[in-house]
Amino acid sequence: MVVTTLIKYLGILLVGAIFGYKDMIKGKIAHNLDIIQTVCLLFLLFVMGITIGINEEILSNIFTIGIKAWIITIFTIGFSILFVYLVKRFIVLEEDSVEP
Amino acid sequence: MSLSILIAVLSGIGAGYFLLPTTNSSSIGIIIDIGLMILLFFVGIDIGRQKDVLDKIKKVGVKALLIPLAVTMGSIVGSMTAGLFLKMKINESGVIGAGLGWYSLSSTMLLAEGYVELSALAFLANVFREIAALIIIPLVAKHIGKLEAIAPAGATAMDTSLPVISKATDPQITVISFITGVSCTIIVPIILPIILKL
Repeated sequence: MVVTTLIKYLGILLVGAIFGYKDMIKGKIAHNLDIIQTVCLLFLLFVMGITIGINEEILSNIFTIGIKAWIITIFTIGFSILFVYLVKRFIVLEEDSVEP
Repeated sequence: MSLSILIAVLSGIGAGYFLLPTTNSSSIGIIIDIGLMILLFFVGIDIGRQKDVLDKIKKVGVKALLIPLAVTMGSIVGSMTAGLFLKMKINESGVIGAGLGWYSLSSTMLLAEGYVELSALAFLANVFREIAALIIIPLVAKHIGKLEAIAPAGATAMDTSLPVISKATDPQITVISFITGVSCTIIVPIILPIILKL
């Protein structure tokens, strides 16, 4: 299950990367890449909204979910800053300074 | 852009609530899976077009790759820690941090796997991360360190947050930021399913 999902997502990403690297996307599509991505993203978010809208349990808990989300966000950002700080302090700076 | 995102989600919620209350969620799953594939394909194209990424990594040194690694580890450990306080399962809290601010991918991947509530939480937490990142990056750069200023951005360090990081730091940090964003974008679809199955 994990492996098939992984191969699926990574495979598509890789195929896209090859298309991009070899400049295989040309003409109108290449010019409108941004718009296509935006439309695709907004459509996905719309569909995601639908799944929330048909789920009474989520709708009634939306404020609790929002608060939980903020708590997770604060910890996520805090720890990622801490980990970069530790890497800079104990690994990178030992060799030579990355930060001038 | 942020307004159209808000409108898309809210109108979806409205449509789901008022128009399609009895929709079968498995048929939605197929639509999401296809949409996700298209989105990933185009993100792949974007990455492939950045032909100088490898040169940039060579120039800065491979140790620049330690930064995305630290950002990823920190994000996952951070959200798992928050999950302890919120009494969540460790894989379900970890997966939210593993989104690295890429809210559209993390939430739709979780939806595709059948987690509706977790998907909503991942969406909100990662949207909040993107918003919070834009606000605190200049503060982190000023008071903690320029390299640390990349951390809040996560996967957005290559696009949304890049102008802010560039303004708050210097050209070298901006290059590392870009490398971090690209690496995080590649890491998310790999690490998310792994953390979820912990």
